[in-house]
Amino acid sequence: MRSSWVFLTALSIAASAHAQTVPPDSGRLLASNCFQCHGTNGQGSGTFERLAGESVAEIYDELVEMRQENDRGEIMTVHAFGYTDTQLRALAGYFARQPRSGGGS
Amino acid sequence: MIARRELLQRLSALAAAGVVLPLLGSQPLRAADAAATPMLPVTGLSGRVVIVGGGMAGATLAKFLRLWGGSGIQVTLVEQAARYTSNILSNLVLTDTVALGTLQFEYTALRQRYGVTLLTGTAVGADPVSRRLTVDTPAGRQTIAYDRLVLAPGIDFEYPAGLESIAAREAIPHAWKAGPQTSLLRAQIRAIPAGGSFVMTIPAAPYRCPPGPYERACVVADWLKRNRPRARVIVLDANPQIMAERATFERAFGVTHAGVIQYVPNAAISAVDAGTRTVHTTQGSFRGQALNVIPTNIGPGLLRAIGVGNAARGFAAVNVLDYQSTAAAGIHVIGDASATTQPKAGHIGNQEAKVCADAMLRAFGGRAPDPAPVTNSACYSPITLKTASWLTAVYAYDPQSMTMKPVTGATGEAERDTKDHFEDMYTWFRTLMADSYG
Repeated sequence: MRSSWVFLTALSIAASAHAQTVPPDSGRLLASNCFQCHGTNGQGSGTFERLAGESVAEIYDELVEMRQENDRGEIMTVHAFGYTDTQLRALAGYFARQPRSGGGS
Repeated sequence: MIARRELLQRLSALAAAGVVLPLLGSQPLRAADAAATPMLPVTGLSGRVVIVGGGMAGATLAKFLRLWGGSGIQVTLVEQAARYTSNILSNLVLTDTVALGTLQFEYTALRQRYGVTLLTGTAVGADPVSRRLTVDTPAGRQTIAYDRLVLAPGIDFEYPAGLESIAAREAIPHAWKAGPQTSLLRAQIRAIPAGGSFVMTIPAAPYRCPPGPYERACVVADWLKRNRPRARVIVLDANPQIMAERATFERAFGVTHAGVIQYVPNAAISAVDAGTRTVHTTQGSFRGQALNVIPTNIGPGLLRAIGVGNAARGFAAVNVLDYQSTAAAGIHVIGDASATTQPKAGHIGNQEAKVCADAMLRAFGGRAPDPAPVTNSACYSPITLKTASWLTAVYAYDPQSMTMKPVTGATGEAERDTKDHFEDMYTWFRTLMADSYG
């Protein structure tokens, strides 16, 4: 009983591996670091700045500017140092692809 | 600084999303759940995931497995309690700044919006070979089959001598899991007379929420200053120094609350006398009208029962690329119960859950986990009843040590505690909770 169940599980995992063709959205996991303060998928209503639908340049440039000014009294400046340029572009790209839903800033 | 009108607009938008707003006063602001059910993606993935524990990490994982993995991912969340009570902001319940009820979050959105199956019960064991979890429910013992099991049971305590009985644990509350214990401690603090003492102990690291005990000392000190003249706070720290936001708390203890807070490092507890509210430590014995002992934090017994409590103090050693236990394939441990280089705290528990969800979904699709995950910890700590500070750190995977390492330059704390940060603290809290439960 147990071995047949394990076999079925193995089969279903193998089947799903073949059926699945959609790779995870690049940038999504990195961007999810921002969701805690900017809302899930950056749909920030009642949050800090809304990121969904901003352009890659808007988000990327703002973060790079923060690093250049290096005002250590700003929480986002400290945070901006946590990501490489490539990572910043990837997470900015994810937010740029998100539709803006509802109102908000 | 957000204009008041804009803030109100933002708040009402959040209320419309069904999120409980922890505003001042006793009534939680709840609004009709107007948010549409998000379209779950079609990914072609399928799998059965069972999660134990509906705290910050477990709830976030349940949400993001469905949000990212789609309806082919069956998610069951096993939780004893009907709703979650947030530890974050619970120190402000002690001072009547927020009401405990406003820190409670329902599992309604996870069920209705994301299609997560809730199972009320207590997980008691698992068989990693047949991949079945055993749960005691009100209807009796059940076993549930899983492809992946995720344990997010938080922390448990190792009580010092003198706190063996339930009565003693109610007389000397830890209030380190928000709920009835928070109310007990609040009542004790209110009973402190003018000129009296609030004595609290801080356990040796690692423990849940590194700045939390120092924050507690600060807000209780501020409340006593306003309400109980000449009363004092005595902080007995088992650690050799302040463990988080040292500059902030050294200033808070030495300047802001000078003469009120007495900080005693290297104070390890030998015993507690619940009857006289006295704690005996390596730095002497201390007695207060209110005594708050936060015991040593340990991995919950469930980890031991399943054989994954294989790190120091019974926490779980994990591979931080996917949070899989180093002791059992197919079993992951996230949040405070895991032993990593990251702090035990809700904000980063939320992020660990997202890394785990992403890795698990990749595994269901036959893919390897993201080789370079990044996580972040951020938190706001009240220093007075009107001002707050912040702390943040970003962690990146280091392939050499196979650990999450703080990124150079990406760790810091606020230069000052300010009223603006206090407002931002509420914004952070509401958004974090909405990202986890909404």
